[in-house]
Amino acid sequence: MSLPVREPHPSTDASLSLQFDEADADLLARAFRTPGDGPRAWHLNCEAHRLSLVHGFDRLLAWPSLRGVARYPHQERTCLRVLQEMRGRAILADEVGLGKTIEAGLVLKEYAIRGLVRRALILTPASLTGQWREEMESKFDLPFAVLRSLGDWEDRPYLIASIDLAKRGPHRSAAQSRPWDLVIVDEAHRLKNRLSVNWRFVAGLSKKYMLLLTATPVQNDMEELFNLVSLLKPGALRTYEGFIDRYVGSRDRRVPANVSELRDRLRDVMIRHRRGIAFTLPPRRVHSLPVRLSPAERRLYDDVTDFVRDAYWSASGRMSWAARLTLVVLQREIGSSTFAAAETLRRLAQSPLFGPRERDQLEALERGARAIQQNVKATRLVEFLRSSDEKALVFTQYLRTLQHLQRVLEGEGHRAAVYHGGLSPAAKDGAVRSFEGDRQVFLSTEAGGEGRNLQFARTVVNYDLPWNPLRIEQRIGRVHRLGQEREVHVVNLWAQETVEAYLMELLDRKIHMFELVVGELDLILGNLDERRSFEDMMMEIWALRESEPRRAALQRLGEALVRARTEYDRMQERNEEALRPVSEEVAA
Amino acid sequence: MSDSLSWRPFVVDALREAGASVSESDSLLWVQVPEPVRERLDGPARFAMTFDPERVRQFDAELIAPGSYLLEKILSLAMGRGRWDVARFEAPEANWVEEALAGSGLAPQVGLRCEVLGMEDQLLLLFSFRTSLVADEKREGFHLVAVAPSVGAAWRHESGDSESGLMPAPDLVPPDLGTAYGLATRILRDTTRESVDRFRATNLQRLEEEVRRIFGYFDQTTAEIRAADPGGSEDLLRAIQAERDRRLTETLERFDPKAKATLCAIRAIVAPMARVRLRFSNHTLADVTVDAWSRHLNGLTCDFCGGTEGPWSLQDRGVRCGRCPPMRAESVPPRGRPRSDTPRRGTRAARGSGRSPARSTARPRGDSSRRRGP
Repeated sequence: MSLPVREPHPSTDASLSLQFDEADADLLARAFRTPGDGPRAWHLNCEAHRLSLVHGFDRLLAWPSLRGVARYPHQERTCLRVLQEMRGRAILADEVGLGKTIEAGLVLKEYAIRGLVRRALILTPASLTGQWREEMESKFDLPFAVLRSLGDWEDRPYLIASIDLAKRGPHRSAAQSRPWDLVIVDEAHRLKNRLSVNWRFVAGLSKKYMLLLTATPVQNDMEELFNLVSLLKPGALRTYEGFIDRYVGSRDRRVPANVSELRDRLRDVMIRHRRGIAFTLPPRRVHSLPVRLSPAERRLYDDVTDFVRDAYWSASGRMSWAARLTLVVLQREIGSSTFAAAETLRRLAQSPLFGPRERDQLEALERGARAIQQNVKATRLVEFLRSSDEKALVFTQYLRTLQHLQRVLEGEGHRAAVYHGGLSPAAKDGAVRSFEGDRQVFLSTEAGGEGRNLQFARTVVNYDLPWNPLRIEQRIGRVHRLGQEREVHVVNLWAQETVEAYLMELLDRKIHMFELVVGELDLILGNLDERRSFEDMMMEIWALRESEPRRAALQRLGEALVRARTEYDRMQERNEEALRPVSEEVAA
Repeated sequence: MSDSLSWRPFVVDALREAGASVSESDSLLWVQVPEPVRERLDGPARFAMTFDPERVRQFDAELIAPGSYLLEKILSLAMGRGRWDVARFEAPEANWVEEALAGSGLAPQVGLRCEVLGMEDQLLLLFSFRTSLVADEKREGFHLVAVAPSVGAAWRHESGDSESGLMPAPDLVPPDLGTAYGLATRILRDTTRESVDRFRATNLQRLEEEVRRIFGYFDQTTAEIRAADPGGSEDLLRAIQAERDRRLTETLERFDPKAKATLCAIRAIVAPMARVRLRFSNHTLADVTVDAWSRHLNGLTCDFCGGTEGPWSLQDRGVRCGRCPPMRAESVPPRGRPRSDTPRRGTRAARGSGRSPARSTARPRGDSSRRRGP
């Protein structure tokens, strides 16, 4: 059996000696033909080379360049082990909330600084592409782009792609035909089956280093662990037959055998930290503040909802994707505030997407929205803030709602720091500093966080509820993260008999989402439906005209969520059972 | 690579040297750069920079830290400048020859007499090189190699690059660099050989382990499939073998060791050089040269290993170089040590050798005809 042909073949080299750069000849030809830049420039030339030398992975270089990243010893240890011992191929299997994304970003940055990674691919579920892009940009200053078109494979050296998109048709061959220095796969438990398209797609990528991120490497049985390891280091756990014979209990495939030996082998490829007592996040306390809309607000909400439902179904089959999206936005805005919806109603009333009759309706709705000067939710928010001495982060999805709240709060004597996407970076910094200073309220439209540490506060108010639960989780994650030492309060304002009430029913009552650790929700939703987003499911239910089928559909979705949560809990137990022997407890 | 704070003096110096003005305000450094520098940095003419990532958004300050865009540009700016320089060295002390000999281990002592035969100006060329050993990791080094073309000698310059005593000498005639570069690269290859070999061996060992595991895994898997289903799909087995080959190629890419060197800059230095005759107690002689700037002694050969690099020490049986390992008993000659291929001075082989000083008057110490002195 022979090795694949390759030029030059390293093993045939009798020895290795320094190869001098061809560009040396150019310098030799040019030197001293013109006056030099002087002794200081010569000295700085030497200094530039000396300071920028790379000495293997003796220490981490990236920390001084990271923004808003707290330095935790377990993350530093993980990164060094990946670089020094695992040679850039590892399963990062920390429990949820211990910062796998940071660890992966750190490894990537260390390679990038050393010039060892110039092309990197991050594969994630579609729902997380934006979050990854933002984290890589804001914390690591790594300019990742999210895959949009086929040309991105060529043009973007740092690319984030939804694995479901990347594995398809032309994207698959484009991805596999190029060499990658580093491939990161988030939620890598989706590669549990080595016969799946996902597994074969990732196996077929040409890569130097690879990181697989998952909090639950074992979802059903130990075979999944074997499949993950085989992606990184085929043979590290023997062959499939050998693995089953040696490391899986004879009856129950979820239980490992020869644990000590398995642990030794896994240590070469996997790092798993569990939250020790020192790293248990403080509890969350959830406060539900339902409000009853005023008669005018109620009437407007119902009228807008009727319009959305009528337009959603009557135009079915010929309504463009953009028009449907507009309807979803309108429905979300009216759930936020009348001020947020008014402007969209005005625009839609002039839009060619709708006929004359619908435009008349929209004009009437706009007039109704503008006639409302007070929102009950805002009044309730003021009451809540008055009752609390704590600093509070108040989140809304819409700028117009934020502006309205700013007026209301300032009218009541509250001084708010305002933070939204339209601000310059300096103004955003100023807002964070003033909140850290004397402002009681941080009014924000951005849930993403941009690497800012706001753990000095511990109260999050959801003035409205994004339909994407991950956005809610991100909001809470601004304060409920490593470094938070006090109990966190999550306050949800929602109006009865609205979509938000449905969301509360599903997310709070069914799966107790507000008490989950950041990161767990995605694992639960991942068990729900891989094809449709949670938002799409919500809209499909809400758009049903008749209340009975709507309640029934909501009930079904609730049951599916409960099953997904139960499945997640089981998975947690299985991983705890199977991987406890190979896990390390994180110390503070 | 250094951490952020150690970059500060360099960054400020490099920008100022290139013509920028740098001032500090609000804990930020404000930089105003002339047009050619602005083009090199590919940014605005005036900007703020900081070494603290948390202050980056203040006035849109640019971050200076390992891997940051602006630092890379400043490094590139500094590396693009100062690529050659000429200087003259004036020896600060009158007794520099004695000091230089003492620094080489040949201080006046019983059994050694030194006689300065002559003094002249000598041209030295100092080459700076960056070496990179790359496989799935990277190890770099920075080396200065000095060449004395007039005596055909080259050596690793380890004494730093102090500017003390150096003055600009813009009227220096450009020297012939080709031969000197050849000598410098040879010395660099020789002196880095051990670390390059070690790097190669380590990576080939890793490669071998990976290859063995991949072969083991795929071959064993194929065997298991055949055993379970002797009439099974040949397509499946071919697919497994194709996957094996792909993994092997990937592994080769990862661990293929490469060793590269790049010439960074060249400096020509004119410095006083002394020709010195060394008289040893056993009546042997050696003519050597030493220059006032590098204080490196050329022309002496180790009586034990044939090495030519100091520091030197006098032994009963002759002079010993710094590369020779300590010996338990001076009377026991080293066994099995391959002699250097450097021709001994004065031998037939040495005549015409590039490493023998062109006008050297040195004779082998064993040459009885010269024992009574010149």
